[in-house]
Amino acid sequence: MMPDQKPEQFSKAKNSPSSPRIGLFVTCLVDLFRPNVGFAAIKLLEDAGCEVFIPKSQTCCGQPALNSGDVENTKTIARQVIEHFESYDYVIVPSGSCGGTIRTHYPEILADDPEWTERAAVFSSKVFELISFLTDIRGISTVQARCEATATYHDSCSGLRELGIKQQPRRLLFSVEGLTLREMDKAENCCGFGGTFSIKYPDISNAIVSEKTEAIKESGADLLLGGDLGCLMNIAGKQSRQGQKVRAMHVAEILANMSDGLAIGEED
Amino acid sequence: MTAIESTFKKRAQAAVANKTLKAAIERTASTAEKKRAIAIAELPDFSNMRSCAKRIKDHVIANLDHYLETFERNAVASGAKVHWARTAEEASHIAVDICKMAKAKRVTRSKSMLGEEIGLPHALELAGIECVETDLAEHIVQLAGERPSHIVWPAMHKSREEIFSLFKSKHEKPPVSEEIADLVLSARRDLRQKFLTADVGISGANFLIADTGAVCVVTNEGNAELTTTPPKVHIVTAGIEKLVPSIEHAFVLLRLLVRSATGADITQYTTFHCGPKRPNDADGPEEFHIILVDNGRTQMLADGMEEMLRCIRCGACMNHCVVYRQVGGHAYGGTYPGPMGAVLTPVFDGLKQSRDLPHACTLNGRCAEVCPVGIPLPTLLRQLRSRSWRSGYEPWLTKANVSVWAQFAKRPKLYHAVSKIASKVIRLFQKNGRIRWMPLAGNWTRHRDLPAPASRSFMQLQRSRHKENGS
Amino acid sequence: MSLARKQIMGNISVALAHREKADEHSIDQEAVKLLTSFEPELPGLSIADVVEAFYTRTSGPKVGASITRISSMEELIDTVAGVLSEKGLVNKIALQPDRALVDLDWGQSGFQLGKEVDDGVVVGIARWGIAETGSLVFHSASDMPVLFNFLPSFHIVAVRASTIVPYLESYANAANIAGDPTPRNVCLVTGASGTTDIEGVLVTGAHGPRELHIILIDDTNQIVGTYDEN
Ligand code: SF4
Repeated sequence: MMPDQKPEQFSKAKNSPSSPRIGLFVTCLVDLFRPNVGFAAIKLLEDAGCEVFIPKSQTCCGQPALNSGDVENTKTIARQVIEHFESYDYVIVPSGSCGGTIRTHYPEILADDPEWTERAAVFSSKVFELISFLTDIRGISTVQARCEATATYHDSCSGLRELGIKQQPRRLLFSVEGLTLREMDKAENCCGFGGTFSIKYPDISNAIVSEKTEAIKESGADLLLGGDLGCLMNIAGKQSRQGQKVRAMHVAEILANMSDGLAIGEED
Repeated sequence: MTAIESTFKKRAQAAVANKTLKAAIERTASTAEKKRAIAIAELPDFSNMRSCAKRIKDHVIANLDHYLETFERNAVASGAKVHWARTAEEASHIAVDICKMAKAKRVTRSKSMLGEEIGLPHALELAGIECVETDLAEHIVQLAGERPSHIVWPAMHKSREEIFSLFKSKHEKPPVSEEIADLVLSARRDLRQKFLTADVGISGANFLIADTGAVCVVTNEGNAELTTTPPKVHIVTAGIEKLVPSIEHAFVLLRLLVRSATGADITQYTTFHCGPKRPNDADGPEEFHIILVDNGRTQMLADGMEEMLRCIRCGACMNHCVVYRQVGGHAYGGTYPGPMGAVLTPVFDGLKQSRDLPHACTLNGRCAEVCPVGIPLPTLLRQLRSRSWRSGYEPWLTKANVSVWAQFAKRPKLYHAVSKIASKVIRLFQKNGRIRWMPLAGNWTRHRDLPAPASRSFMQLQRSRHKENGS
Repeated sequence: MSLARKQIMGNISVALAHREKADEHSIDQEAVKLLTSFEPELPGLSIADVVEAFYTRTSGPKVGASITRISSMEELIDTVAGVLSEKGLVNKIALQPDRALVDLDWGQSGFQLGKEVDDGVVVGIARWGIAETGSLVFHSASDMPVLFNFLPSFHIVAVRASTIVPYLESYANAANIAGDPTPRNVCLVTGASGTTDIEGVLVTGAHGPRELHIILIDDTNQIVGTYDEN
């Protein structure tokens, strides 16, 4: 196992003793595909009075292994994440499915390991998805942001059903100036991503995501928002193939007022 | 292994391309979904009711031996003959033997998924006994020489036009039009005389009532009673997990079963059968046999799959499953389709044969959300995936991919170095921020673009900003 | 004991070896407790009066029956005649051989009593009614042939207000208290035979009755609304 590296503190030294210390788990997809979401998360957390740290030793939460049935490798990754993040007051993840994996599934897979059972349970209670952390733990109800758009919000499955995220992002989006929120039909329906599912069963996945893009089109929105980059890449990828003009962004980017850049799948 | 996997994939692929099938599934499943939502909303507290139902089933499963013994004792006291079957073959063998003893030429059967599970229609056919399916949908499926595609609406994949031409060629008196009412009438006419001339009637069981030895069967058509009352012999085939302590417990589950299945509050006919015809009874069978079937259930109990034994076969999980809604029931290739089938088929047919079913799921959790007995279907599917992985049933390519990826994920420095290179390589394929095709990503780019990776990763950007900040 | 039984029971006790095996009495007690924890969650009856609730329910869209209310058994024959003439049917019926029905003077009112149940009109009487679901409960016996509920085309059922109970569970309880012998066959009938098997469209008369008409006899005004479960 890699020795822990000195984590980098990102906060502008807001060293008030009451500021909770946050370990930000950016997720592998955000790291590679959408760094802006990571910076948006930092801004939102700092605005909420937190001190943000980014452990360098982070990679991925282990979902690809977990969902393939490779429990042994997932366990190793889980232990590694716990070791690197357990010293923080909270561990914040800008993704419902990675948050769900860490919060819900780590304790499950480590349950048969007496050394880790307790440790995983304590750890998991500190893990939150970004937006629900802001509203439910930090009590944030408005943000300072502006975005001229008609947006529709896709409820990603893990966030919705494993972590109970439904009203939180909508409540915050409500305070974004210029933004109109318009619900699509069946916003809670899965987009057909399912991680490795989308690659193992491309045709089924395609049939499912096609219904999602249809519902988005029907809603008349020009901006698609969501809390999970995997789903957003899936939907945006389909929209782009279909030649649809709806832009796609992570909800944190809007809330952090960092929405003037390129949307997902636009050239940088 | 690969052949079977490609078979599921082929079936699914064909189903996805079949627009008529899609329309047929959507018609029934979306109505069921809407009606269920209304019925559940009308309940004072669904989640508490569900947890009561779950506790009842868990209680029975934790005391399964006790309840089996109690049920057997009371059923025997009511005059029933109780048989035990370890496997599907044993169960259908017992049923066929009873039919032979009764010198049966014609047997009527009211819909029972367990009957399908143990291959009873086939076993009767082999024994040269005419087996008449009496549930309308099963009747359609039987005439078409197919298998059920849904556990509540076995013929949901068929359109009225198809049924019309089927009935026209198979019914003595064909239907007068394609109108659904005429089709139903035609089946009624065709089946009525068969009900009254059958030698044995076979039903399943929705609940086995331990404290009376009664068997509860529910239908909307009334075909179960018409199947089981006129013949001299009534055979019940039931899984051992169908037990409940008393009729009151059955009612708790019944409320959820019907609402979850069709959105109604109760079925038109809810019948409790307790033993054979009594001396003063006006009608009823002279012999009443109950075949208690294990067929993998005790193995589920031992294997950490006992939560699946709570299943009351309502079909809600499939009605709400995005995959089922695209591929339909036949693609699953087993008796039980959808999420519950993806858990059960590996138990009945072997995980090796059906390893793709637990994978053909996005783990979105909707099924568990609607399941009236709180079965954590995604968790069970994950469990099967890891069992398949450990047993070496996964294709080598999948194993290799995941293992290599994991080696990086476990080594952060290496991971970031490699992903930096990978991003660069992937970006070579981008045009306007999108990748329309690239090697090894064909399964993704077949149907959708891949957003290009960022030119610099979050970790890289963050490090340089950090330096700029001078801290 | 069959080998299969022995093995199945053996498998179960191995699989459940980790549990503390409770004695029969405490298992039964636990089972009862599971029911009491459930009581507050019964579906609401919109009207406190169970007979009213039964009436509302059976005349509403959920049950798919028609219903007439009369104040005594004496009015039954005329009511049946009225129902039949409304449908344009002749007064040819088969009677469920229950004393309460058989003893009435049907012949005098021009009824032709037959034995033809198959696809005909049957007039029956339910042992109980359940308000929650609008169900009629039949207990098989010499005076209640099971097939009388399934073979007719048109099913007319009388039910006494005094036998209507609020919930499904109350039926089990009330039958116990009334000392009903456990019949071979208990059938809860809720509406006419129906199917949605073809294209999800509801059609009645799948195999059993095409229509169900209920005649509610308000026999005991005092009892109405005072039904006590305990
Ligand atoms: S798993 Fe649950 S939802 Fe699916 S059929 Fe069984 S009881 Fe119904």
